[in-house]
Amino acid sequence: MTAVTAQPLRRDVEHGIVAGVCSGVANRLGIDPIILRVAVGAATLAGGTGLIVYLLAWALVPEQGGRSPSWARLAGRRDTWLVLSGSTLLLLSVLLLLREWGLWFSDAVVWPVLLAGGGAALIWRQSAASPPPAAPPPAAPERARPDRPVDPVRALRLPTPAAGPAAIGATLVIAAALVFLWLNDALAPARDVILAVLVVVVALTLILAPWWLRLVRGLTAERAERIRSQERSELAAHLHDSVLQTLALVQKRADDPRAVANLARRQERELRAWLDGGRPDPGESLASALEAAAAEVEETHGVPIDVVAVGDAPVDERATALVAAAREALVNAAKFAGGAPVQLYAEVGEDRTEVFVRDRGPGFDPDAVPDDRRGLRESIYGRMDRHGGRAVVHSSPGAGTEVELVIER
Amino acid sequence: MKHGADRVSIVAGLAIGGLGVVLLLDRLGVYDLKFGYTLPAILACVGVILLAAGLDGGRR
Repeated sequence: MTAVTAQPLRRDVEHGIVAGVCSGVANRLGIDPIILRVAVGAATLAGGTGLIVYLLAWALVPEQGGRSPSWARLAGRRDTWLVLSGSTLLLLSVLLLLREWGLWFSDAVVWPVLLAGGGAALIWRQSAASPPPAAPPPAAPERARPDRPVDPVRALRLPTPAAGPAAIGATLVIAAALVFLWLNDALAPARDVILAVLVVVVALTLILAPWWLRLVRGLTAERAERIRSQERSELAAHLHDSVLQTLALVQKRADDPRAVANLARRQERELRAWLDGGRPDPGESLASALEAAAAEVEETHGVPIDVVAVGDAPVDERATALVAAAREALVNAAKFAGGAPVQLYAEVGEDRTEVFVRDRGPGFDPDAVPDDRRGLRESIYGRMDRHGGRAVVHSSPGAGTEVELVIER
Repeated sequence: MKHGADRVSIVAGLAIGGLGVVLLLDRLGVYDLKFGYTLPAILACVGVILLAAGLDGGRR
């Protein structure tokens, strides 16, 4: 079966007279360019519409050979707003001249069409922008399927910088529609209703504004307090995982000055990096971060750790919390498993990531852990909870321990 | 260090100068300038200056 693909619309500058718009459209439609040239000329003489359409097509339609549309090249410059303002003023002056010469349809048509055209161009341009990047597919073969379904919500979502211009475009289109209706007296019957609704809305706004303001302030204060609380918890968890653990190791190895010096140096480096606002390397993968954490614990505590990771994903904020919780589980296993090998198994799926840390140590009763032990409560449970994940400890005395960490992606 | 001509200043000078000549001719009675032409002329003058500034800024 032969697939028929539509030829994209391109300006044919080589065979065109001015900017190759008529020639390009004629190629697309399979007709003689002279027909379109006559039509554009006639529309220009009959009110200027032909000129407007031609200029819009010149700005929006890309040139043959892969060059971007003129609009895109201009909009890509540093002083875009200057170029756009200048172009708009020039277009406005041409339209006013055409109006003065009588080459004009009607104010009720041209101005709304112009507004709507500008708004539509903005909306189309922004909707053509790339949607927010999805997490790059990991290297695991089972996740590199070519028929991976596209998330429709993600595909419709505009990138944040594009949302503003798109909103301006939508406002322009709506304004054009209202101007058109107003100039054609179509809004007159609805005027009384609109006036009544407007008065009621203003009255309600005046009445409800104080409550609304109080509600907004309360929500803002609550949100700020929640953020502060989370930051305090993160700080406490980090200090526990790094400084307190190192101090415990220092006490344990107090008879080995070299080991103590190594621990102090490593802790100093880690603290300095953290104070400098150390963030995970964007290029780092979750699997390699887990392997690095396991290697660090293995070196520090001298306990063998087997790491198996299925699938992979880039490290984001949630993955960073998952790695930190897994590291704390590894530290606990290394400290309390009596030197037995520790296993770390990670499975990175489409929607969730699961990490299991197992040891064959003496085990313990999770319910019997005192509340003041931060390792389990803050560094594992609390950390996973704050980032939308969950942690479950499966253990009983004499049966080893398995820490299950699950986080949605 | 090479100092090239300031293209924006040249374009702005030419545009404002042209507008001034038109207004002067109107004042001298040589040419009767109507408001319907004055407004587009002023808009075109400002538009050309802005366009020149924008295009020149992108080239730097």
